Amino acid sequence: MTTISTMTLSSPTRVIAKGVQTPLKTQTIKCSPIFKLNKRWPGLIGSGRSSSIQPVRAAPDKISEKVEKSIKDAEETCTDNPTSNECAAAWDEVEELSAAASHARDKKKDSDPLENYCKDNPETDECRTYDN
Amino acid sequence: MAACTLYSTQCFNTISSTPSSKTHLGFHQRQVVFYTTTNNKRSSNKRSGNNNTGRYVITCAAGDTVVIGLAADSGCGKSTFMRRLTSVFGGAAEPPKGGNPDSNTLISDTTTVICLDDYHSLDRTGRKEKGVTALDPRANDFDLMYEQVKALKEGIAVEKPIYNHVTGLLDPPEVIKPPKILVIEGLHPMFDARVRDLLDFSIYLDISNEVKFAWKIQRDMAERGHSLESIKASIEARKPDFDAYIDPQKQYADAVIEVLPTQLIPDDNEGKILRVRLIQKEGIKHFSPVYLFDDGSTISWIPCGRKLTCSYPGIKFFYGPDTYFGNEVSVVEMDGQFDRLDELIYVESHLSNLSTKFYGEVTQQMLKHADFPGSNNGTGLFQTIVGLKIRDLYEQIITSKAETPVGAAKA
Repeated sequence: MTTISTMTLSSPTRVIAKGVQTPLKTQTIKCSPIFKLNKRWPGLIGSGRSSSIQPVRAAPDKISEKVEKSIKDAEETCTDNPTSNECAAAWDEVEELSAAASHARDKKKDSDPLENYCKDNPETDECRTYDN
Repeated sequence: MAACTLYSTQCFNTISSTPSSKTHLGFHQRQVVFYTTTNNKRSSNKRSGNNNTGRYVITCAAGDTVVIGLAADSGCGKSTFMRRLTSVFGGAAEPPKGGNPDSNTLISDTTTVICLDDYHSLDRTGRKEKGVTALDPRANDFDLMYEQVKALKEGIAVEKPIYNHVTGLLDPPEVIKPPKILVIEGLHPMFDARVRDLLDFSIYLDISNEVKFAWKIQRDMAERGHSLESIKASIEARKPDFDAYIDPQKQYADAVIEVLPTQLIPDDNEGKILRVRLIQKEGIKHFSPVYLFDDGSTISWIPCGRKLTCSYPGIKFFYGPDTYFGNEVSVVEMDGQFDRLDELIYVESHLSNLSTKFYGEVTQQMLKHADFPGSNNGTGLFQTIVGLKIRDLYEQIITSKAETPVGAAKA
């Protein structure tokens, strides 16, 4: 079986690890950057209640507005030439946003805030479960 | 399977394996450490804006990832299929923990599903400016797709870009580790010959225009701004590119699930009752098609009667050999829908070669996800069956590799 051990190097400079000489063992060594946009890197943020840093998913309402706007745009783009490439691209954007809106609705439907929190932070008090 | 990785994440270059890696990894399955300092010009760094940085990769893995391709248009049930598939493998598939909340990736114990939209080379604005749809190959980076799927198949982790469907932008990449089973789903998994050759099994969801229209009405009519006209206009505007670049991929698929309007009601085009065909290629290694009653015969079966209650318009099954794009195939077809899902057990007991682990597994899976779209008709049934066939294929591949480790390393 596999042994996976994790070592975290959070040096800001480039890390060159040489010769991880542990025979018959596998290792994961991750070097995290100091800062990355819209992204939480494992290793950068410690365990516990760090969820405040987590970026928030775009709300379905906002996507709905985008869908609405994209339909208007497509209709405008297509008035001159309904078979143009621009027209096809505009309606393709409508499709993409409509699909995204539908996925966002599905996610919202079966998402429970506590469940979501506990998925990321199973070790916290409010996420403990007890067997009698 | 062993996997270890080291990467310096300051930089966003594609991982490319050194030619020697495979030999080391495959033969000895011992830890192997190798560096690649990649400066790949067409890699993802141009998008993330992090140029000119080298990248250090130390990785070791057995490299026995099985790769599955799933092709379908947007809004044609890929997500539902993925949920059924990952359920067959056991364990729920979740987005990567602590990552970008708009990531398109799903990860379970065994399986990682990646969305090929992440390989868009043009973002939403770029496509708009150039007048190119996402269906167009020019909007997609097949070189990067090939490199990364290949790397994963060889057991090497990659930093895959993320296409954000909400903003239409390419977000900073996420690390994808080689899973046991990698599913690549999207518009073009079988478009590029190099990517196609990496697939151990491929599926195409072929939704007829009538049904596509009905499904999109169901999906979009509640959305502000949408109307029957806008839904129709969108389908029609995308159709030339769909026909040119997406539809032809079905000839390469090992299994095609065709969804058509019912023939049980004359001239029905409501798209509520469906005729679904599972087209299975013959002669594919590790895949032996499902059949009804008698392998190779032609059979028409109406199960309704004393043992199965069917209300109007009933249920009809068909099974028989056929040719599909010049390939020998066998087809199982179901027209109509189940009134009571637990009665599916009666149908299941008449299908053979299902690759179930116990009697009633298909029915159990269908009941478990009765709330998924298509659970009472052939789409759910055949998606579940294909899931079981893929599990079987995976197990066969792993067994055959274990028996001949040297051969597997060379393969």
